[in-house]
Amino acid sequence: MKTLHIAFRNIFRNSRRSLMTILAIAVSSIAIHLFGGYVANIIYGMQSNYVRDNGHLQVYQEGFFDYGAGNPVAYGISRYQDLIHLITNDPQLKEHVVIATPILKFFGIAGNFKKDTSKTFFGIGYIPSDLKKMREWNDYAMQIRKSRLNRIVLADDDIDAGIIGEGMARMLLLCEELNVKNCKEKPQEKIEDKSAAKEDFSFLEETKGVNDPSEGIDKRPRLDLLAATAGGAPNIVTMYVNNTEIQGVKAIDDNYAAMNISLAQRLLYGKGEKKATGIVIQLRHTKDIPFAKVRLKQIFDEHKLDLEIKDYTLIVPMYRQVISFLFALFSFISTIMVIIVLFTIINTMTMSVMERVDEIGTIRALGLRRGGILRQFIAEGLVLGALGATLGTIASVMIATGINSSGIMWTPPNYVDPVPLKIMIFLNPFLSPGCWLGMVMLAVVSSIVPARKAGKMVIVDALRHV
Amino acid sequence: MNNSEFAVRLTDVKKRYLLGKVEVDAIKGITLQIPIKKFNVIIGPSGSGKTTLLNLLGCIDIPSSGCVEVCGQDIARMTDEQASDFRAENIGFIFQNFNLIPVLSAYENVEYPLLLMKKPAKERRELTLKMLNDVGLSSHKHHRPNELSGGQRQRVAIARALVKGPKLVLADEPTANLDSKTGQSIIDLMFEMQAERHTTFIFSSHDHQIMKHAEKVFEIQDGLLMEEKER
Repeated sequence: MKTLHIAFRNIFRNSRRSLMTILAIAVSSIAIHLFGGYVANIIYGMQSNYVRDNGHLQVYQEGFFDYGAGNPVAYGISRYQDLIHLITNDPQLKEHVVIATPILKFFGIAGNFKKDTSKTFFGIGYIPSDLKKMREWNDYAMQIRKSRLNRIVLADDDIDAGIIGEGMARMLLLCEELNVKNCKEKPQEKIEDKSAAKEDFSFLEETKGVNDPSEGIDKRPRLDLLAATAGGAPNIVTMYVNNTEIQGVKAIDDNYAAMNISLAQRLLYGKGEKKATGIVIQLRHTKDIPFAKVRLKQIFDEHKLDLEIKDYTLIVPMYRQVISFLFALFSFISTIMVIIVLFTIINTMTMSVMERVDEIGTIRALGLRRGGILRQFIAEGLVLGALGATLGTIASVMIATGINSSGIMWTPPNYVDPVPLKIMIFLNPFLSPGCWLGMVMLAVVSSIVPARKAGKMVIVDALRHV
Repeated sequence: MNNSEFAVRLTDVKKRYLLGKVEVDAIKGITLQIPIKKFNVIIGPSGSGKTTLLNLLGCIDIPSSGCVEVCGQDIARMTDEQASDFRAENIGFIFQNFNLIPVLSAYENVEYPLLLMKKPAKERRELTLKMLNDVGLSSHKHHRPNELSGGQRQRVAIARALVKGPKLVLADEPTANLDSKTGQSIIDLMFEMQAERHTTFIFSSHDHQIMKHAEKVFEIQDGLLMEEKER
């Protein structure tokens, strides 16, 4: 017998008290499960979003990550197609790589001459079909918003097209033409001398020359983009804006301009060699990152390429910050739950010991060693913990299923649109087993002090106890 | 009589304990020898030191001075674990309040000492069923203590004390909580069991009626042995 068998019966001697203890453990388990599942959903959701847009890894010319924002053109990767070929055809890497695609990041000035306005922008050039493929990545089976997939409005052959942030559209007075919702009309500017600015833009427009065959034909809103070329001279190209794409951070949304990479290259390199500032690599699984980094480093060393590799957690610092914040919150909630469970079980087990003093004396007199008494009470803690943790796990799954199917919507940090509230308990494979095991261990640890007290009882005093 | 013919030998045993802040001399120097395979009775009024003496004989307490030898072992020299194992092997207890384990059935209560001795399951089952049959409770084996009468509970306690075939059975006023008729039946049962098994019984009581069964009587009063009678 069966120590566990006796323990099981003992905990139901005072069924109400045991039930309350089991419920306290279960409620704590539910809290940890639900919050853990919620956090897992945010973290894996964020990761999926970042990986869909930025890939797992980005390869830059050495120094670009630290200094490239000041002069992106100077850090361009020459013959990047060869580099992509090298990566995607490497026997060890190709199994892990979904896609490797060039990007070109730069800064410039965008002008809407029809409305006599302009502003600086942050430009990113990519291959639209590659981005579309990247946005299909869904290693964690997260719900992808169709609106997000449908928002891919650039085509590879639409070489003069681009997308801008809603804030950017607002500032360039393109709300009406691009059907931007909730777009306030720009108040009258207080610039007294507009003639100088107008003269400058006129000059730029003239430098564009006659290399724009779509002038006067294309009905899409048009922006003229100005940037310094690799040679230092200003260059200007026309971008036809297909649509807007709101960005999660206002500072980015106000400055965002994405375009076909060929347009960005035409702006930055003119008729010179077309380069990319980075190669985006999306892997099949996030866990492949360490291997891919090592292998890429080997390839670059073998070919004497002066390149650096950054993973998405470095490229998007907010990801790490959010994870740190959520981890701290999760730890805080878990600690509170642990303290509640700890004191509840200590109280229950102490009461149990006090109620069974004469019984402890009897079984000690019959020949059970101190260790046997210790084992008996620890076993009772174990059974309490196991019942509470199991009940908590089952209830958590049921509650999570209910929440997941309720259709409650919310907007996670750095998201643009509301998404369904999901509690993904099983997304983190360690959450449920860890919580169950943690609760059981906690129950066992909480039982040790009362059990030791029981084991140390003097037999004659215990037998004399009424 | 040589040493092996005594279940217990006490030599100038004293036991002092604290009752709150007051020191009480429960045993004030007793020297006696209790023969084996006999129905021995320790008789005396309440507070005379009977229970303290039985605690010493049952190896659940140690003397303040003097020597207590149980089955040839000096109990003061045993560690707590050795004393536990010794009790599990050699001593059966019958308590005034029955002291059955409430969550176990009659069968499980009787089986419990055999578990402590790590007897195999088959042997446990055979011994337990036989013992329950001997005390007339075969039909109540699945009953929990709260489903049994006082007499039935004490029968279970007797079965629990005897099932492992102990060298010594200690019964501390086992009829005190029973009506006279049931008490008499319990005394008859214990006497019968002792006669069948030739186990050494030490029975404490303040009831002089018990003396008619006793083979040897020790009368104690105020912690001192007053009289020792062979019958």
